[in-house]
Amino acid sequence: MVAAEPETPPPTPRHGELVAALGEALGADLVSHAYSATEAWVRVAPAGWLQAGRVAKEHLGLSYLCFISGIDWLQNPGLGGEKAWDPDVEASDPPGDGPGRWKTGVAGGGTRFQVFARLADLTRHVGLTLKVDVGDGPSDPDHPGAAPRVASWVPLFRGADWHEREAWEMYGIEFEGHPGLRHLYLPGEFEGFPLRKDFPLLAREVKPWPGFVNVEGLPGDDDSAEDVEA
Amino acid sequence: MGLVESNKLPKPLTRLLNWGRSSSLWVYQWGLACCAIEMGAAFGSPRYDVMRLGVIPFPSSARQADFVCISGTVTDKMAPPIKRLYEQMPEPKYVISMGSCANCGGPYWDSYSVTKGVDQIIPVDVYVPGCPPRPEALLEGIVLLQKRIAEEDMGARWRGEAIVVGG
Repeated sequence: MVAAEPETPPPTPRHGELVAALGEALGADLVSHAYSATEAWVRVAPAGWLQAGRVAKEHLGLSYLCFISGIDWLQNPGLGGEKAWDPDVEASDPPGDGPGRWKTGVAGGGTRFQVFARLADLTRHVGLTLKVDVGDGPSDPDHPGAAPRVASWVPLFRGADWHEREAWEMYGIEFEGHPGLRHLYLPGEFEGFPLRKDFPLLAREVKPWPGFVNVEGLPGDDDSAEDVEA
Repeated sequence: MGLVESNKLPKPLTRLLNWGRSSSLWVYQWGLACCAIEMGAAFGSPRYDVMRLGVIPFPSSARQADFVCISGTVTDKMAPPIKRLYEQMPEPKYVISMGSCANCGGPYWDSYSVTKGVDQIIPVDVYVPGCPPRPEALLEGIVLLQKRIAEEDMGARWRGEAIVVGG
């Protein structure tokens, strides 16, 4: 959806070729793409995630896996002046792209969680970021309590093993076909997924984050200056 | 050490033993984060020369150490090994907690993975504040620990009672 916007800069020739070739191989599984002056993003459908990785690695020369990670696009609960996340609103209002629910990044997104990975071609010095929707997890109205899940890339890249373990323990995203989703950084008995935006930090329940007091208006910014004085 | 156990250690002998113990401290270095750089500067560099204080930073295991310097961020995953190696140290043993993270969690006070102070796991004798403390601050912490050892009643420590440090 972002790619159709007129202000999107044109792709570099290498990125244009890569995205065109990937779209040819994946067909409708390539949902959208976006460019910046030096980068390219591609969003693929969940069913095409493994195939996208295979095509990129074996046919497009993107043989180096930089990383796999996850994103929780839920609005930050109460930080930075953004709208606070409200569990009651979340329960009564079905999730979607609406304002105040969650944002979506470049190349768009339809679910709260996304998995993204960056692949690079070390000989042509070109990289590509692939993203995939992985379901809404705990706030999915159709499957409450179901974990977000997507195919694992371990059959393609052995190095994806620890990256996917980290994404699982931090976001609770399950990777189908992963040889063993065990805790990597956290103690084995840890409960919860701490990088989810709605993960409760017990210390902040007792004492608010002190960074709030440092918010000051910029010079010439009258509204925020009045807020500070008030 | 029958004299110590029966609390019949003569005072001159106590002073002699304490002087010896405080002047030859084998330190087990437990560097966990950026404070370990400052600890390395204090313990390993000729500029600060910790060995003039009688501190010897060369034990090859916790079983040969007199005190342990916990420097850096203690995580919940690292806490069990810290407790285990502290238990492996021979008595009498001491702990210096170096830096804000080891003292109380420091900037990670609200983290999901950081232990809010190493004193939740093992008893701490000297806290060195700072983020990170300069090597001089760590040296002062060592001098404070030496004062504590020099004024220690070995019999009281053996009985497990509270140690009162004068001055």
